[in-house]
Amino acid sequence: MQRALPYLLLAPALAVVGAFFLLPLGFSVAGAFEGPQGATTANLRRAFELYRTDLLFTLVIVAAATALIGLGAVAIGGYLTLGRSRIALRLLGAMYRWPLFIPFIVAAQAMRGFIGQNGLMNNTLVAIGVMPQEWAQSFLDWRGIVITFVWKQLPFATLLVAGAMAALDRAGIEAAQNLGAGRLRILLGIVVPQVGRNIMVALVLSFVTMMSVLSVPMMISGQSPTMLTVAMAWRINALGDYGTANALGLVSCLVTGLVAWAWLRQSVAERGA
Amino acid sequence: MRRRHILLASASLAALSREAAAQQRVTLNVLTAGDQNMVDYITDYLGPLFQRQNPGVTVRAIGTGPGDAGSQRIWERLEAQRRASGTASVDVDVAVVHQNMAGRMVSEGMLSRYREQSANGGLATSAVTRNALGQDVDGFVMPMFNSQVAIAFNPARVANPPQDFPGLEQWARQNPRRFGYNGIRGGMSGVGFVFGWAYAFGPDQRRLIEGPFDAEAVTALTPALQRLREFNRNVTITPGNAGTLDALNRGEIDIGPVWMDMFYTWQAEGRLSPNLRLVLPESGLPGQPMYYVIPARAANNDVARRFIELATSPAVQAEGIVKRFNWLPGIDAQHVQQHLDRQTWDRLFRDVGPDQLARGARPMPQADFMRAIQEAYERVVLN
Repeated sequence: MQRALPYLLLAPALAVVGAFFLLPLGFSVAGAFEGPQGATTANLRRAFELYRTDLLFTLVIVAAATALIGLGAVAIGGYLTLGRSRIALRLLGAMYRWPLFIPFIVAAQAMRGFIGQNGLMNNTLVAIGVMPQEWAQSFLDWRGIVITFVWKQLPFATLLVAGAMAALDRAGIEAAQNLGAGRLRILLGIVVPQVGRNIMVALVLSFVTMMSVLSVPMMISGQSPTMLTVAMAWRINALGDYGTANALGLVSCLVTGLVAWAWLRQSVAERGA
Repeated sequence: MRRRHILLASASLAALSREAAAQQRVTLNVLTAGDQNMVDYITDYLGPLFQRQNPGVTVRAIGTGPGDAGSQRIWERLEAQRRASGTASVDVDVAVVHQNMAGRMVSEGMLSRYREQSANGGLATSAVTRNALGQDVDGFVMPMFNSQVAIAFNPARVANPPQDFPGLEQWARQNPRRFGYNGIRGGMSGVGFVFGWAYAFGPDQRRLIEGPFDAEAVTALTPALQRLREFNRNVTITPGNAGTLDALNRGEIDIGPVWMDMFYTWQAEGRLSPNLRLVLPESGLPGQPMYYVIPARAANNDVARRFIELATSPAVQAEGIVKRFNWLPGIDAQHVQQHLDRQTWDRLFRDVGPDQLARGARPMPQADFMRAIQEAYERVVLN
């Protein structure tokens, strides 16, 4: 009985995961291969035929946003660790977390009013005389999606990265400072290598989150190509075509799975070393 | 002894009257696809009106979501209850569905034939009352309202708006990115524009509307869609039905296809410049009704029919559908006109009059063509 107790305690949690996550996932994967006449690869073929450009667009957008988030998180975390101005440190420390508590859909709605052709950003720049009216252009396209993703996910990544940087033993940083190393050199040569794993965690989680966001591409840009989530929603809502939507979901899962696998592989290798 | 008899008789009477009251108390479940305004219409206006006229009836409105997906959910509910053994009736008394799903429900025997018994059955005579995207629905549906896609334009920047699609094509070439629409993934005004394009430049408009479906007829649309791909190079793609109106309002585009009811509602609410105007090309743009239907095994069939009779009465169509929500009436307009003041009537037909509507309003394509044209758009225009 004592031996079985841990398994009994685990059972409810496993049952919930199995019933509400694995089972629907299994149905979804199976649905990607279902057609009116039984098993088929037609859904996958249709997905690639119609949405390969959207897949590439999604990968480029999410990869670009992930890279920018990484740079931003290192920059902000680096300044919070190595910065000298107390006021700037306090201000940055207090402000960078704000977008963390704003849902994607609210961020997208705010961006629509901010970066449109006649949005707040352009109107302000024109009003203060920095830019003539003719230069005003809309960012409500792929650039708007990247901007919104970075704005929304940067605090999350920074939280993880800055936390890890703050936990570092400062002896190494101080030794480098004593030897005359500049702050950029210390950041890139000493701090970043030590928090590399945390940066990877933040970026992988951000990548996976952004892959699944529907509201931002839908609200920011109606253009084509667009992200896979929009194509999935459209197949279901407009055409009632769950097969192709499942196939697109499977492709998304494979992409995020690949990223997670690459990260896990690297982590295991690091632990083994 | 006598006193005991009186007490017994009173108790029996009380029990009987309670039973009678319980029998009269009816909850009418009205499931509606569409945006929140559809639920608001029933909850705030139609439901209370019906309850006042029918004591003991409670109208419960349930929204199932916008677009065809909302109608799909109603079908799924009815289908689930049909498959469940031992259920004599379904818990949906009245449903408001799109054309595509109404056709499917009729073909699958899910609906009750009620229009002939309805007091207002003869007031709706338009083609959509009998035919929904190629499916015969005569007798099973009553249109709640009609909605129409038209081209909105800014007269301050476009003095003479293009009156047909070739003119629009030329205008967009001369004025890059000043025409905007929402493609096919951002709402039905964009989808309607694509269908209008297929009607104008495709070889056989009538075939697309009436069917029968033929894959060759879709292939024959390829040159028209290639032309649309070229056209798209000069246009702005907006993020949705509301996105087109927003872009027009902010001056980011000068012309774009919109739903007429949304256009007038936004103007009435002060969300859209009152200077913007509408035009309807003669080669046609599609519109679509929403239908009132009664499931074949509705628990309260008679009450449901009475509810739809009220909803399609000229007075309610005038006050609720036209005046409050700026939709085109579901029943024939001449029956509604006498219940409307001149100002409301003129507002409804200010830019696109009844004659223009008669010439330019078209149904959506037949159901199979509707789907196939959207897929062909993805294949030819987007890839």
